[in-house]
Amino acid sequence: MSLTSLDPRVTRLHLPDGEIPPMEQKPALDQFETYEVFHLKKEGAAYTYVGPVHAPNEEVGFLFAKEQYSRRFPCVGLWIIRTDHIQVTPYAGDGENIYEMIRAEEPGTRSEQAEPYEIFQLKKRGKAHVHAGRVTATSFQEALQEAKQAFGEKGPVVNVWIVKSGHVLQSGEEDRDMWLTVPDKKYREATAYKVMDKITKFKEEQRNTPA
Amino acid sequence: MYGGGNVFEATKFDDLQAEDPVKLAEFEARIARGEKIEPNDWMPQLYRKQLIRMIEQHAHSEIIGALPEGAWITRAPGFRRKMAQMAKVQDEVGHAQLLYSAAETLGKSREQMLTDLINGKSKYSNVFNYPAYTWADSNIISWLIDAGAIVNQMANARGSYGPYSRALERICAEEAFHLKYGHDAVVHMATGSPKQREMIQAALNRWWPPIMTFFGPSDKMSTHTETLMRWKVKMASNDDCRQQFLDMYVPKIWELGLTVPDPNLQKNAETGEWEYTEPDWEEFKRVINGDGPCNAERLAVRRTAEERGAWVRKALLSPKAKYVKPLA
Repeated sequence: MSLTSLDPRVTRLHLPDGEIPPMEQKPALDQFETYEVFHLKKEGAAYTYVGPVHAPNEEVGFLFAKEQYSRRFPCVGLWIIRTDHIQVTPYAGDGENIYEMIRAEEPGTRSEQAEPYEIFQLKKRGKAHVHAGRVTATSFQEALQEAKQAFGEKGPVVNVWIVKSGHVLQSGEEDRDMWLTVPDKKYREATAYKVMDKITKFKEEQRNTPA
Repeated sequence: MYGGGNVFEATKFDDLQAEDPVKLAEFEARIARGEKIEPNDWMPQLYRKQLIRMIEQHAHSEIIGALPEGAWITRAPGFRRKMAQMAKVQDEVGHAQLLYSAAETLGKSREQMLTDLINGKSKYSNVFNYPAYTWADSNIISWLIDAGAIVNQMANARGSYGPYSRALERICAEEAFHLKYGHDAVVHMATGSPKQREMIQAALNRWWPPIMTFFGPSDKMSTHTETLMRWKVKMASNDDCRQQFLDMYVPKIWELGLTVPDPNLQKNAETGEWEYTEPDWEEFKRVINGDGPCNAERLAVRRTAEERGAWVRKALLSPKAKYVKPLA
C-alpha cells in the first residue's frame, strides 16, 4: 500500500505507508562543508556578506549561492569562500574597535613571499561584514596589522574576517548575464499586485445590488 | 512562512544558578543595551537551547510549508500564477536553508536537524499537517498563513541573536511579495463568479480553525517566559500576535464579503481586543503529536527525498572535506 496524495507528484513517488522504522542518523558531512557568500549589489558598492551555503565543492557552492542569494534582488557580482579558509578575530562590543583590543601575535606560519589578503569588517553587531579592501602580507597576523593601518581608523569595527585572496572564488565579467533577467520577473515583486481597483469595483457592485 | 506557536517548555537548563554570574551579567547587559549576540559570544545554556529549538522549528516549517502549496504548482490556473506559485515555493525552501544555517551557528549540525525532523523528534508548524484540497486552499495559505508568519517574523527579527535577525531580515524582504500575491489571488476568487466565491469561502472555512491555532496557546506567564523575553528570544506573547493578526486581516476578509466561521468573533469596542471562540487545543495537541490528516505524508515526502538523494551526496563528497560551522 502506498500513500495517495492530493499532489499527483507525491502519489507518483509511491511512498511507503504505515509504520516505518526511524531513519538512521545521517552521517557526518552528509550535508557537506560550508561556504560563505558575499554579493555586490551594484557597481561601486562593496562586497557584502549575505550568508552561508552547504556544498560539495566550490563550483557547486557558487551555483547554490547564485540561487540562494542573488535570485530575488539586484546583483552584479558574487564571491564565495570556504568557511574553513576565513580567519576570524574575537568580537568587540558595539562602538568599540577590535583593532585596538587585540595584541599583535607572532605568526605560526609565514609564507616566503608576501601575498594578497582580503579584509572584511563588521561595523555593528547583527549587521553584515563588508569588504574593506586588500592588504599584502606574509601571514594572517601580519595581514591583520596591515588592515589596522589601512582601515582601522575609520570608526568602530567589532569584528574582522581575513582570507587569502587566492581562496576567494569570484564571479567574472562573463557571468554578469546571469542576473540580467532578475528585474524582468515582476510576478515576484510585491508592487506587481494591485488589488485595490478590484476591491473598490466589487464594493460598488455590492452597494448597487439590492440585497 | 512560519508557524509560530512556539511552546517554550521549561527545560533542565532552566537553572541559571549553574551559570557563571559574571558572564551572565555581562550577557544580560549587552542585550539590555540593545546589542546583538554573535555566535562565539558566551551565552547561557538556556538561551542556546531555546534558540536552536525555535530556529530549527522555523526552518522545518519553511521546508514542510512548501509542500501544500507545491501541490498546486502543476495545476495553477494560468501561466503567470504558475510562475508566481513556483517563485514563492522556491523562496520558502531557500528560507529553510538560511534558517538551518543560523541554527548551525549555535552548534547543532544540519544532519542532526534533518534526522530529527524526519524521525518526528522536532516539530514544524502544525498548520501544514492539514491538506490543501483546492486551488482556493492554496490561496488562503498564501495570504493568511503568510500574513501570520510575517507578524511572527517581524517580531522575531528584533530579537537578540545576530544570525537569526540577519536571516529574518532577508526572509521578510522576500515575503513581502508572498502576502500581496496571496491577497491578489483571494481577491480574484472572491470578486469572481459565484462558483469562485463559493470555493474561496469553503477554503476559508476549512483553514480558519488551524489559523487560529497558528500562534499557539496562551502563554503561561512564568519566570521562564520572563527570562526569554528579557533575553529577547521571545519577542511577543502568542496572544499579542494573534490579536495583531486579527486586527490586520479580519477587516480585509470582511470587505470581500466573506464570512469568518466563528459566530463569536468580534472586536470588543471597550477593550479594543478581539473576542473569539477558544480554538480546539486538544485537536492541536493531537495533530502536533502525529495524528493529523497529513503528518505521515509530509514526513514521508521529506524522508524519500533524503533517502533517494543519498547516493548523489555520497558520490559528490570529497574525502578531504572537513566540517566547520558557518560563521554568521
